[in-house]
Amino acid sequence: MKRPLFLLAGVLSAVLLGACSKSGESGSDGKLTVALLPKSKGNQYFVTCEKGARKAADELGVELLFDGPTNTDPAKQNEIVENWISLGVDVICAACENKDGISTALRKAQDAGIKVVTYDADAQPDARSFFVNQATAKGIGDTLMDTAAELTGGSGEFAVISATLTAANQNEWIKYIKARLEEKYPDMKLVDVKPCDDQKDKAQQETTNLLSAYPNLKAVVAICSPGVPGAAEAVKQAGKAGQVKVLGLGLPSENRAYVKEGVTQAVILWKVEDLGYLTVMAGAALAEGKLAPGATEFEAGKLGTLKIEGDNILLGTPFVFTKENIDEFDF
Amino acid sequence: MTATRGKFTQIVARHESVLLLVIVFEVVLFSMLGRNFLSESNVSNIFRHSVEIGLLALVMTPVILTGGIDLSVGSLVGLCAVVFGILVKESGMSPLAAGMIAVALGTFGGAMNAGLITRLKLPPLIVTLGTFSLFRGLAEAFTKGSESYSGFSDSFLALGNGSVAGLPTQLWIFFAVAAGVWVLVHRTTLGRSFRAIGYAPEGARYAGIPVERNISLAYVLSGAVAGLAAVILVARLGEARANAGVGYELLAITAVVLGGTSIFGGSGTIAGTLLGYLAVALLNNGLGRIISYKIFDQPVSSVARELSGMLTGLLLLGALAATVLAKSLATRRARAQTSPNPKPQTNP
Repeated sequence: MKRPLFLLAGVLSAVLLGACSKSGESGSDGKLTVALLPKSKGNQYFVTCEKGARKAADELGVELLFDGPTNTDPAKQNEIVENWISLGVDVICAACENKDGISTALRKAQDAGIKVVTYDADAQPDARSFFVNQATAKGIGDTLMDTAAELTGGSGEFAVISATLTAANQNEWIKYIKARLEEKYPDMKLVDVKPCDDQKDKAQQETTNLLSAYPNLKAVVAICSPGVPGAAEAVKQAGKAGQVKVLGLGLPSENRAYVKEGVTQAVILWKVEDLGYLTVMAGAALAEGKLAPGATEFEAGKLGTLKIEGDNILLGTPFVFTKENIDEFDF
Repeated sequence: MTATRGKFTQIVARHESVLLLVIVFEVVLFSMLGRNFLSESNVSNIFRHSVEIGLLALVMTPVILTGGIDLSVGSLVGLCAVVFGILVKESGMSPLAAGMIAVALGTFGGAMNAGLITRLKLPPLIVTLGTFSLFRGLAEAFTKGSESYSGFSDSFLALGNGSVAGLPTQLWIFFAVAAGVWVLVHRTTLGRSFRAIGYAPEGARYAGIPVERNISLAYVLSGAVAGLAAVILVARLGEARANAGVGYELLAITAVVLGGTSIFGGSGTIAGTLLGYLAVALLNNGLGRIISYKIFDQPVSSVARELSGMLTGLLLLGALAATVLAKSLATRRARAQTSPNPKPQTNP
């Protein structure tokens, strides 16, 4: 007993031996098991996704697992997926934090016969069957520009607050905002694009600068979620509430107070709950053979028939949250 | 009778025995409540997902034995991973050569810690807290915070995802390092000197031990293995990122301390560290497999990460307390046996 190393070796070999004798893997009572992976678990956005996913799971009678990382360790998503593979789930739905890293694990899942669907943020195309696309860049750009034009009566100067000048998705959206502007609104002018580094304080500061630099500014369009309340706070403190319109991409919950005060006129986002719902619907259909690569339409329960472009299942045009409807949503 | 009894309490009082019980309990519990816990692929997962932390814990043990600590290893993993990625993907180097450079870089990082600690006589906690930020900052600077490197060859990825003789490839590396560190700590004069230094640095100096040199070796070893862990981690993920290895230093320290090594230095074993590592690795994996039971109205598997953090904390405190209690019980009993009349003496 003086040699705990021998004991350790004993335990290790017992574990490994036990492993060999029980290598047959089985799921639970024939029910389909769908596993939903968020980018991070505590994030209200993904908690809302899960809510929608649960509704779909209850409707379909499938077992739903929900698990995700709690910190930024890039290995965590892979570990969760690999554990699900050995758990013997039927479908994995992943929102990918690190596109390339997670694809390694998702390919392994596919090799093990598990159906893989991505949502919110895609993996590499060969690592999944479908991507549930919550909104195309064009859809977002168009809706932002249309809403801005509607609020300002279709004329005047406006500015954009973005996260960083290098973020790929932000630049995509700005590209489509500019395209829409050129195409439909000749009387409007984009005077400036300012980065806020994804920080509310910085967005507030930048908006204050914009307000003094461009006295005729009609609207501020924030395209990152901390930017919307930041811009609203600046407009409010400048005493220009209602005079300078504030709109942007963000969660209704973060903006509710400003929307009710009339500082922020419109918050634009997809219905996050529907994203979770659609993802589970698509994953289950894929496993049951009701959805196969090459399909152009998908019958998604209460959401009706949705379009499929290539291997992207489209959730539809983004939703505009306003003073009138914002109380109906709790995310 | 009393002799065997004394021996028995001694064994129970051994920290390793307490941990072994915990591990057996975990295995039984998770195989009863969890789904496919002992399946072959899950047992591979348990080790595959934790080997990096196990490696860091192994080499953290000599560092802590000398009375030091190395908070920089997690960040060093990130830095080495990023440099490895850059060398392979941008300079077109072979993974083997790049891997050797990553280990060399880790060694250099460890040597930097060692130099600051032994030459400038700065406290290890402060030095490695500094390099903790420095290494991570460098990794982020090299990647501009967001770039990552992927698309490695299949033969390299096999290091992190393949198997050799039925066990995950990286587990064999772990066995080799574990054997090496065990020999170093328990079978060499250098290893004995680590404990002597941790127990009484001045005493060790008077005994003729080259204290500075030996302390330096512990940090250099720690850095070199951090470089190795980085390469294994990249092979497992297929991606090198600046935030690789975030928080690993604390997990490694947890395994070491849970394994019974005194945080003040001077005492501890490699077997204890291995058991501590195993206890935490089993806990992290096992909780995620309990699907049919609920806690706080959620399946246990959905809150596994939160629970395992909490339980690791409890385990750490519990195991330490149990050992102290068992020891004091043993000494009290021993005292009772040596003096037949334990009543307090009264003055004549």
